[in-house]
Amino acid sequence: MAEISKPMAWNGEGSIGASINRRQVSLFDPRHRSLHNLIHSRPSMLPTLNLTGDVILAEHLSHRFGKIGLGDIVLVRSPTDPTRMVTKRVLGLEGHKLSFSADPLVGDGSVSVVVPKGHVWIQGDNLYASTDSRNFGPVPYSLVEGKALLRVWPPRFFGSLR
Amino acid sequence: MRWLRYLNQWRGTAKEAFDQVSIVAKFLCLLHVTDRYIISSTHVQGPSMLPTLNLTGDVILAEHVSHRFGKIGLGDVVLVRSPTDPMKMVTKRVLGLEGHRLSFFADPLVGDDSVNVVVPKGHVWIQGDNVHASTDSRNFGPVPYDLIEGKALLRVWPLRCFGSLR
Repeated sequence: MAEISKPMAWNGEGSIGASINRRQVSLFDPRHRSLHNLIHSRPSMLPTLNLTGDVILAEHLSHRFGKIGLGDIVLVRSPTDPTRMVTKRVLGLEGHKLSFSADPLVGDGSVSVVVPKGHVWIQGDNLYASTDSRNFGPVPYSLVEGKALLRVWPPRFFGSLR
Repeated sequence: MRWLRYLNQWRGTAKEAFDQVSIVAKFLCLLHVTDRYIISSTHVQGPSMLPTLNLTGDVILAEHVSHRFGKIGLGDVVLVRSPTDPMKMVTKRVLGLEGHRLSFFADPLVGDDSVNVVVPKGHVWIQGDNVHASTDSRNFGPVPYDLIEGKALLRVWPLRCFGSLR
């Protein structure tokens, strides 16, 4: 298992995941790894993430302990397509009241919504080109699969995602 | 040079202890992977799946492979992570896949008004067999397919009810 021990030993968080999940059905299943790289290339998170594709490091430990907070960029399994993962920002936890414009290009009609128990409200930073909770509603918390830590590529944007 | 002899003995014992511990650790890893990703036994209880599952609690074998290949079909009893409480797992039956049109009574005890719903893409409609005592998709709506974590295969306890869940 030497070939996966190197990325696992990135920091304290990663090493615990490596020792417990030594025998994996699939070595490269991102569910098991506590850290993995993700290539993201959609316009829905401009200006935070670039259009042409970024590689970010995401960790898969915090969501298991309930440590996802407001403003975190999270990897979520899409509720409309179970084979796809989306990257959005958490803008509401359970019980929060939110209001948003139903369609930011057309008019001012704003909708108020309370995030139900066990759900989170995710939204892309680019309001005009993002399908997110404004379209498919609040998503159950267990669809959250990881939290983005920092961007590693392109190197001139290396660093945290703010 | 007695301390050298002691050191050698200690080294031998330490190696043996390490080998034994690593065997146990490998076994635990294998057990964990099998239990989580292949097949596991689950204790289910509650009135929401009467008469299929007993009130006082059954142990069922559930496999965790089919849902990854999309092989969950209508009428399957599935283990689903509750959308209202991420720490809880519920056992319900799949009564609708994406695109299906369903109608159900908003409240089976009161009146006859029925509600029509189309299951959206990427979601399934789950319902307990005991419609009077089950919180399911009639309460919290269709659930995203990815919340399904396993499919029930057969019941193993109590012994007199051993067998498939029909």
